[in-house]
Amino acid sequence: MRVCARGFVAALTLSMLMAFSPAQALDQSLIDAAKKEGRVIWYTTQIVNQFARPAAEAFEKKYGIRVDYIRADSNEVALRILNEGRAGKVQADVFDGTAAVASLKKENLVLQWVPEGARRLPANAVDEAGYWVATNLYVLTPGYNTDLVPKALAPKSYEDLLDPRWKGKIAWNTASSPSAAGGFVGVVLTSMGEEKGRAYLQALAKQNVTGIQVAARQVLDQVIAGEYAIALNIFNNHAVISAAKGAPSAWIPMNPAMAVLSVISVTKDAPHTNAGKLFLEFLVSEEGQKLYRDADYMPIDPSVQARDPSLRPDGERFKAITFTPEQIETNMPKWAGVFRETFR
Amino acid sequence: MPADVVLKSDPRTPGAGRLRGLVAFGDKRWFSAAIGLVLAVLVLPPLIFLVHGAVTVSEPGGATHFSLHRFSAIVAQRGFLQSMANSFIFSLGSAVFALVLGGVMAWLVERTNTPFKPLAYLTTIISMGTPYVLYVSAWLLLLAKSGPINNWYRQVTGTTDLLINVYGLGGMILIEGLLWSPLVFLLLGATLRNFNPELEEAARMAGAGPFATIRRITLRLSLPSILALAMLVFIRALEAFEVPALVGLPGRVHVLTTDIYDTMHLSMPPDLGSASALSCMLLVLVSALLYFYGRLTRNAERFATITGKNFKPSQMDLGIWRYPAAALLVLNFILLLVLPLIILIWASMLPFYQSFSWAAFARITPDNYKNVLSSSRYIALLTNTFVIALVTATAVMLIASFTAWLSVRKAPGAGVLDQLATTPLVFPGIVLGVGVMQLFLTVPVGVYGTIWIIVWAFVINYMPYGVRYSFAGMLQVHRELEEAAAVSGASSVTGFRRVVVPLLSPSLIAGWLFIFLLATRVLSLPVLLSGPSSQTMAVAMFDLWGNGQGPELAALGLLWSLAMTCIALIFYFIARRSGAGLQGQG
Repeated sequence: MRVCARGFVAALTLSMLMAFSPAQALDQSLIDAAKKEGRVIWYTTQIVNQFARPAAEAFEKKYGIRVDYIRADSNEVALRILNEGRAGKVQADVFDGTAAVASLKKENLVLQWVPEGARRLPANAVDEAGYWVATNLYVLTPGYNTDLVPKALAPKSYEDLLDPRWKGKIAWNTASSPSAAGGFVGVVLTSMGEEKGRAYLQALAKQNVTGIQVAARQVLDQVIAGEYAIALNIFNNHAVISAAKGAPSAWIPMNPAMAVLSVISVTKDAPHTNAGKLFLEFLVSEEGQKLYRDADYMPIDPSVQARDPSLRPDGERFKAITFTPEQIETNMPKWAGVFRETFR
Repeated sequence: MPADVVLKSDPRTPGAGRLRGLVAFGDKRWFSAAIGLVLAVLVLPPLIFLVHGAVTVSEPGGATHFSLHRFSAIVAQRGFLQSMANSFIFSLGSAVFALVLGGVMAWLVERTNTPFKPLAYLTTIISMGTPYVLYVSAWLLLLAKSGPINNWYRQVTGTTDLLINVYGLGGMILIEGLLWSPLVFLLLGATLRNFNPELEEAARMAGAGPFATIRRITLRLSLPSILALAMLVFIRALEAFEVPALVGLPGRVHVLTTDIYDTMHLSMPPDLGSASALSCMLLVLVSALLYFYGRLTRNAERFATITGKNFKPSQMDLGIWRYPAAALLVLNFILLLVLPLIILIWASMLPFYQSFSWAAFARITPDNYKNVLSSSRYIALLTNTFVIALVTATAVMLIASFTAWLSVRKAPGAGVLDQLATTPLVFPGIVLGVGVMQLFLTVPVGVYGTIWIIVWAFVINYMPYGVRYSFAGMLQVHRELEEAAAVSGASSVTGFRRVVVPLLSPSLIAGWLFIFLLATRVLSLPVLLSGPSSQTMAVAMFDLWGNGQGPELAALGLLWSLAMTCIALIFYFIARRSGAGLQGQG
């Protein structure tokens, strides 16, 4: 497996140093064609009130094109589009996620097209074959309840999670998604190696980690409510968003953490292809990237800094292993299998 | 035998039988065929997709072949037998608990002079309008490790232990049973209300005490209703997803439905073939249960309690026992309504959920309500949800009342009709969703992505409930009334329309109401079938739950339940009035 942790961070830093070309004016014919279509249908994995709703409203305001979004987890997005495609009637124009594109492009359901605005982005943020472009970076780390776990006592390494004091007090999402047990297993096996990694997971299983079938966001909420002390593999920016509202939540810069690209694509034969393309242009533009920033996400554009820069792995103090959609798709069956063997 | 009182007027004397045969044969046969066709078109295609998906294996080249290896793989899988056992215990436990709780309430309210009866109706009506995901999360908040009950216990005893660990089979049974007890109360209440008290009075005259009367008369005569309800709750629990997922999985209790969910969610792309194979096994299991149920209720005519005779419902004087009985009603009211309501109101006012504390109290805010009320998206959701529920309930009750009538009156092909109408019981919501989706993607009639695909799936899903409601009512309407109509020259369809439907109306309205409310709150189908412009309220709530927006969910849920309770109240009073009118006519 190709792991590009340092390479990715280096590319981000490098492109930050590069001079930025002035924002290119968009092709007017694309805007006109999009306005004529008048509507874009977006299958999204983004949290609605944190990002999907504000982004849809901003796009509607700018172009007068209505955005209808449906939120679902990655597998469901893939299932919907897969089924729609098999009957030759794809309804989605645009879809995002961390891995769905990898299986959908095999079914010939994804348009090979890269937005103009993506030229500004680091090379790693755009698919070589042109099936997807990244919009933001997710970093997955453990999070904890600061009322139940004083900062000094919070685990700082994978080994610390094995401390008997956490027995029965850790929770995670058990879906086969990077933001769940599957992703955690993947990072452990990749960073520690097969043998040591499996031994570590065996030891972790003795901690009676509680599996819940909800989004990582909800796992963190249950930790905030005091149901568990620690959540494994949550989105670290969610802990920051909640802490800003006064919630007792914090995240742990685990070395290494998991970094995944949140990527977006236009479907092949989409009912509103031009509106879909324009929506992608919008999201990767500086204006769109600022929406991610304002929602406390990590924009993929290095010129738009996250509001809390410490969220982003710097490659030294805080390291992460970055996985592309293709790497996740290839390895997830194995990771899910190891999870089942070890924890069920 | 007590039922002899009714059987005395049994029309199965040779002459009457020949008369019935002549009248019925002509028009019922065509009627039967038409209803059968409608049912077949609804029910069979998803079933065919399910079986086809389970036994078809595609090769890399695109070719497919027949194989049973998925079934053997599932049986060989670790934990499969444990899941089977868990499913069985969970379903049985939930059915028994719901029946005992709902049954006792129904008897106290309908047949005794216990005070505070309105509380039981209030509880039922409000709980019928409350979405499951809201209810389950409310009880989870109450019973959670960090919830008020365990907190209170720890404060009182000074230990760090838990009084209740809700995550496990016990907790699942408790919550599923609570979810279904209002339905039991409603259905059993209807049976008891229309009960002919002559038989009980006869028993009392013959020297039987009150409890012997209940045991030997009331319970015996309600047996078909009780068995039907037990079967309904058992099967519904067997297919339940919300409670096993939210309560069972954190406690590592796997059941068949969560296994199906796992096979669809732990692999990419989803393993629909194995999910279909597992569903086929569920199908066989449920079909076997239904077969035995059919045998049990075959001679249900013996239990007919509404006859052409006049009667007045009587109530038992409990004496001093009225007070503990009232306490029970109040406890039920608190458990099913007050506690969940309090915790939801508390949650709805917080920026993020926390147990009660003064620090948290300082944070309360109306923001969640503002967000809900200011979002224009909810108006579209409201319209979609109402149209779907309205059309679904009406279509189901229309088809179901015909089916139940033809089935109870043993029209030609009655067995087939009953089988077709009850077959959808075997579909877990999520599997039916996939079947219907594939159907409309294969047959291009422009339904996919609109609200009509949801209506279609709902009609299939709720047909068994509609039939059970109509059936329960039908069993009580004695054949002699239609025969009186036939003798007066009415055709059997006219007899159905002019005699049976008016007598059935309390059951039909109750069934309509039940399905309407169910369709507004059930999630598993719309979550799979709703397109970009056909989302429903339950889907929006699920999104909020998945998003981790518990407080906004609580706010939206409370507002929604308030609106639905008003609707439930209106229909409840309509149902009561038509019920009272019916009894007055005798």
